[in-house]
Order: sequence, then C-alpha cells, then structure tokens
Amino acid sequence: MSTSAKPAASGSSAALPVSVLLLALLPLLLMPLAAVFVFAGRGGLSTFVTALGRPEAQFAMRFSILIAGAATLVNVVLGTFTAYVLSKFQFTGRQALTVVVNLPVAIPTVVVGTSLLLLWGPIGLLGRTLDPLGVQPMFAPAGVLLAHLFVTFPYMLGAVKPVLDELEQTYEEAAYTIGASRWQTFRFVILPALQGGLFSGALLTFAHSLGEFGATVLVSGNLRLRTQTAPLYIFAQFEAGNIENANAVAATLAAFSFVLFFILLRVTARKSRLQG
Amino acid sequence: MNTLPSGARRVNWVRLTRLAGYGAAVGAIALYAVWPWLPGGRGSQPRTIVLYGFSILGEVMNEGVLPAFQAGWQERHGERVEFATSFAGSGTITNQMILGVPADLAILSLELDALRLAEAGVLAGPTWSELPHAGVLNRTPFIILVRPGNPKAIHDFADLARPGIGVVHPDPLTSGGAQWAILAEYGSALRRTGDPEQAYQQLLGIWRNVVAQSASARGARTQFESGFGDALITYEQEAIYDLARGRLEAGIVYPASTILSEHIVVAVDRNIQSDEEQLIQAFIEFLWGDPAQQVFVAHGFRSVTESLNSANPAFGVIDDLFTVADLGGWPQAKREIIDRLWQGQVLEEIGR
Repeated sequence: MSTSAKPAASGSSAALPVSVLLLALLPLLLMPLAAVFVFAGRGGLSTFVTALGRPEAQFAMRFSILIAGAATLVNVVLGTFTAYVLSKFQFTGRQALTVVVNLPVAIPTVVVGTSLLLLWGPIGLLGRTLDPLGVQPMFAPAGVLLAHLFVTFPYMLGAVKPVLDELEQTYEEAAYTIGASRWQTFRFVILPALQGGLFSGALLTFAHSLGEFGATVLVSGNLRLRTQTAPLYIFAQFEAGNIENANAVAATLAAFSFVLFFILLRVTARKSRLQG
Repeated sequence: MNTLPSGARRVNWVRLTRLAGYGAAVGAIALYAVWPWLPGGRGSQPRTIVLYGFSILGEVMNEGVLPAFQAGWQERHGERVEFATSFAGSGTITNQMILGVPADLAILSLELDALRLAEAGVLAGPTWSELPHAGVLNRTPFIILVRPGNPKAIHDFADLARPGIGVVHPDPLTSGGAQWAILAEYGSALRRTGDPEQAYQQLLGIWRNVVAQSASARGARTQFESGFGDALITYEQEAIYDLARGRLEAGIVYPASTILSEHIVVAVDRNIQSDEEQLIQAFIEFLWGDPAQQVFVAHGFRSVTESLNSANPAFGVIDDLFTVADLGGWPQAKREIIDRLWQGQVLEEIGR
C-alpha cells in the first residue's frame, strides 16, 4: 500500500482532477456514509447514547471486538506461517495450495456459512458424530470464530507474502553463514522486515472480521446476548424498523473502522518513507 | 531495511511514546470488550431460556412478556432468569431449528412450521397440541396497509388485483406471514363468491402486482415504509401497535373477509435439560395466564382468552373472519392452495 508521500503535482493543477474525483465519490461513498451519521444523530445525543447503551448493543459490540481480536491473533500466526511456507519452500502442489488459501476472498460468505454448517452442524459431516458427544461449535461463539477465521484468512497472507517474496535470499544466507539457526534467522532477519506487512495484515483481518455478516448470520443462530455480532445486531434492528438503534451502532462501527484505517495509512506511509 | 540489531541502541522517546499510545488504545478496547466477563463483576450464573420467535413478536416479548416473567420469578424464587432470544421469519427460525439451533422454545407464525419440525424429528410429534389452546398463543387477522389518504382507493383484497397497484409481500419461502397472506388472498374471494376459479384469479392478480419481497413480515413492512409499493398485506397487530405509538404513516384497510392467523408455541424437549424443566413449564403456564395475555392485547394481538380482547378498542370489526380450519386445516391448505395453486400455477403464470 503506497501513499502519496510526494504528490506529483500540486497547487492549481490538482484542483480539477480532485474535484472530479470528489464529485464521482459523492454519491458512491461519501453520501451513504454521511446518511448513517445523519440518521444516527437525528434523535439528538440522548437518543444516540440510549441506543448505544442498550445491553444488546453493548454485548454485540463487545462480542464483535473479541471475535475480531481472536480471529486476528490466530490468523496473524497461521497466515504468516502459511506465507513463509509458500514463499520459502519449493514443493509439488505449491501453486494449487496458493490458490486454495486465497479462495476465501472469492467465495461468497454465505457459502462459507452453509459449508461450515454442513460440516460442523448437528446434521453435518463431522457434526453428526460430534453432536452426540456434546460438542457443537455451531450456533455458539466457537462457530462464529471458525467462520471469521475462514473468511479473513487471505488478508494476512496477502500482506505478508509479497514482502517475503521480495526479501532477498542473501540476507538469510548471510545469517546462516554466521551460524544463525532457522528460528534465529526468522526472528532477527525476516520478522523485522515483515513488521509493516504484519501490522497492516492484522488490521485488515481485524476490520474485516468486525464487519463480517454473511457467514456469521448462518452459523451464529443470531441469538441476542449470546452470539449476535454488531453487524447482525444492526441488521436485526434495521429489519425491525428501529433505525435509531441500528444506526447508533453502525455509526460507532464506521467511526472505529475509520480510525483503524487512518492508523494503517499513517503507519504504512511512515514505513515507506523510512524504507524509500 | 532493518538488519540485525546492533548492540547499542539509543532510546527513541518519540517512538516509545507512540508505542505506549497505541498500546494504551488497544488495551482500553480490549478491557471494554472483556469487561462483563471479568471475575467479581456479577453474581451467580443466571438460568437461561433460549427462545426463538417469528418476526413481529420481538417487541412484545422483549419489552413486555419476558421482563414480566423475570420479575415474577425473581420475586418468588430469588433467582435471575435470562432470555437468549432471536426473532426472524417463521420459516427462517424453523429452518435454523432443523439445522440444530439450541432453542428451548419457539413461537411460530403457523402450525405448518411446527409440523415441519415434527417431520424433521426436532419434535417427537405434534407435542404442541398438548399445550393450552392446542399451542395457540395469540391471534391476529390479516389486513391491508395503504399510503396515507388511500390515494389508490383500495378497499378490499380484490382491489389489490387491479392493474397498476404495487403490492409489497413477504416471501412465502421464509415468512409465515406470507403464507397466511396467500390464504387470505385466496380464501376471501372463495368465501365471497364460492367459486375456486374466481378465487384463483384474485390470487393471480395480486401476485402480478407484487413489486418487492422480503424474508419476513417485519422486513416487508420496513420495505413498505421505505417507500415501496402502494399496499402491504400484513398482520393487524403490526398496524395497530404502530398506530398506538403514533408511528403509523399509513392507512389501515379492513377487508370484508380475511383470515385470522393463529401463532403456535412449541417446546423442544430434546434441548431442555432436566434441571430446566420446572422453569420452562412455569414459563409456558405464564404465557397463557391473564397477565401475559393482557400484554399481548395491549401490543395489538388478539388474545385466546376472548374476554380480554375488549381491553383494546383499536381492534377492527371484520364481517367474515375465517381460520385455516375453514380451509380444511394447514396440511390441506398448504397442499392445495400454497403448493398447487400458488407455487404450481401462479408463479408459473407470472414467470418467476
């Protein structure tokens, strides 16, 4: 992700393209976002605070943050390891595996939800044998986490693998010649180079998990105060016609994501300045 | 590019402060997220009833019936009961239950969904018929909502079949309300004319005019409110409950003849643990008791205890109110009207 640390043109010459861009983005991005905030604030601050303070809203936001945090922790480790293996080792089927681990981006999330249900659910392939033992991840927080791990898996990979691919072999070889072990090489040579990728990958994973809907709605059972994530809460409240309740949480989530990506942009910008 | 760490590193205060700032922010968010689960916060684990319900029951249960039961139970037993609830289209929750959601109880829009649960083995059989009123918790007739002032002059179901009328309809695949609506659309004409062909023509005419479909009755109303269509066929309860709160931006049209929907409670015995039985039994009895039934009436549902219904003056007068029993019961109505006529012929005809 590169940013305009050094704009090519400045001053009056930028005015036209910038205004054209803004005009195009107005109905596509800016106005829909503004609508959320306008509707959230329509009833005044006290309505907004009451809507946000509802126990279900509070639970939904907390639950979403926890799931997103857990999904990020797991996928940072698993995604980095996957990128490392795919980038540094030659083996048959590597190409196929690369395609497979990137698939979650292309599969509709609803399909992810149904496939998880058909695997783990009480009538699923594995669930059929697990259910009598009292193990049932679906319709429980574990099921939501499984869905989010699946859906967000490629983001870490996408952020880390390009860096690994470009990392010159000579650094590692140099480390080995002075007697570094494979772990030491990873820890002191590869990991520092990965910092930016790890950070942006983690943030992307977190943000996508926070907003995940399609798979979650199927595997969670959509139970208030149990498995209802923030997006599910927003949808349920909107469908029920409680637009204030829906928009209070929606606006909070949108603001939170905005801050996340603002940080992401700043950190990556600094990284590219330091390196470039 | 970073390289192997050199021995002597100068302390970079700017970097440290920034890291501390990020750390504090992340810590604060994490603390917020886990707060309710920190030890010492709350007392003993409350007992939980998992309740699924069809879409329009959300408010009356969450705001009226459940808190009343919680308060009464707390008073008598000194114990907190929590409800985990989920409200969606009746067909949706039925499908979720077949897939195995851990519902203790469910309130379905129609007996047909209960029959599906029995068929799928979720229920041991028609267990709801052993409950009070054969499982019927409350009722509400189907009416028509139109735009304020009724600009298209809609006075009965027959008017919805006129060309140029836009009808918002929930989807019969997932919504119980939609299936009731189909019975109303067909049944009202059948009872008026006694002619199955004319009844079919009315059903077909209305479905030619359907401009938007939603997964639940609630969703359809939200669609109607956001400006789709000229008319919505829905539960009377929805309309008069909004009217009472001053939130109805539509006119209510009472058809001369319409169906009275009957909503069914099912208890999923296989999900009810033995130490929960007494609690659930008490809750079931509470549902049919006067206090709960009065809450239903106040929220616009017609009670199964007829004497309570006079408490709500908003209930409209309908000349010919029929039930699914008048159409031969749900299995027959489903087979003949929904499957054969609506799915087999109407959808075919309008090319969907």
